[in-house]
Amino acid sequence: MNAPKRTLAEQVSFGLCVAILAGLVGLVLYDWVASDGKAAVLAVAPAGAVRSAGGQFYVPFAVENRGGQTAEAVRVEAELRSAQGSREFAEQEIDFLAGGEKETGVFVFERDPRQGQLRLRVSGYKVP
Amino acid sequence: MGQLSGWKRERDDIVRGACGGFLFGIPLLYTMEVWWIGAWIGPPRLLVALVLTFGVVFLLNRTAGFRSTRDVRVEDALRDSVEAIALGTICSLLMLVLLREITPQTALGEALGKVVFEGVPFTMGVALANLLLRTDSDEGTSQDPDQDNQDALNVTLADLGFTAIGAVFIAFNIAPTDEIPMLAAATSPPWLLLIVLASLLISYGIVFEADFADQKKRARQQGLFQQPLSETVFSYLVSLAIAAAMLWFFDRLAFDDPWQLWLSHTLLLGLPATIGGAAGRLVV
Repeated sequence: MNAPKRTLAEQVSFGLCVAILAGLVGLVLYDWVASDGKAAVLAVAPAGAVRSAGGQFYVPFAVENRGGQTAEAVRVEAELRSAQGSREFAEQEIDFLAGGEKETGVFVFERDPRQGQLRLRVSGYKVP
Repeated sequence: MGQLSGWKRERDDIVRGACGGFLFGIPLLYTMEVWWIGAWIGPPRLLVALVLTFGVVFLLNRTAGFRSTRDVRVEDALRDSVEAIALGTICSLLMLVLLREITPQTALGEALGKVVFEGVPFTMGVALANLLLRTDSDEGTSQDPDQDNQDALNVTLADLGFTAIGAVFIAFNIAPTDEIPMLAAATSPPWLLLIVLASLLISYGIVFEADFADQKKRARQQGLFQQPLSETVFSYLVSLAIAAAMLWFFDRLAFDDPWQLWLSHTLLLGLPATIGGAAGRLVV
């Protein structure tokens, strides 16, 4: 069997492909080392201004996984306490939150959160 | 062989490989379980997936491959396998970004999981490119010239039929699932425009660029929509109509739904439907 000489084009594309594959494996290894053994660490905070429309109040929030491992079914709760002492609850579930990932969402209240005390918290997650 | 023809052949080989990847990889791309698996799978499993894919693709490259030259030496198959994985990974990454499953907010580990797992069928498609739709350039399947100039209307109808069959074949599998509404929820008008562009480019690539079967015959055909550009646009419209019909058929869309919903859902399902339609036309 004769071995045809490779063209410059073939050499170039092979070189690029080797670089891509090496980059891919390198990133996987890096992620392995970086996230190894770190459990999920979840934090939630308001993310932007409160918006009101149609008699409802929309409160954007961001939940972030500052740990390494992925959290599944992350439950985020919000409690709004008015000056008069009445309470309103809202909750959200985020499907997946990988290590380092940030997701945003919006809570909806009937009373104005700016007139009361708003408390956000993560109430739990599943280990996938 | 001149330098220029070397580059052209290389480009054709790569386009052919990428088209094989799209044909094989698109159905799994519209499977949300794979996105989720990508979100929580660990790096060790990703490396195992890459090694296994390499092994399978190496075996495929010994017999099929995506290059027009049929080298089956071990060294060639090894090089082609590296290229197939790189090509499959890039195609998978591009599609995941296009469908907004990978955004700048996506964590590295999650993006890697999605790209590697979605990349497996893409990579196999690259390696199967010649086997899926064998090239005719070196097989001498010359057609009867009279056959090429058959009644323009007949040719157009045949193309229309096979586009529709190919589009139904793919869209039928995806339309009843929840992926389309989920993708639609995460997309926006600029991304829908990019999806239209990608659908047209991939469809054009499969039928007119990748040097698959019957391509030379197609270029000689005289049907009403046989110019490459008009055929690509026409078959895209047919595929969109099929996609909309499938969504309605499975009750994913109703006539009283807002037109924006029809538009986004149809364009999103139109991408795989168009790829199916392009594959269908190659069978003619």
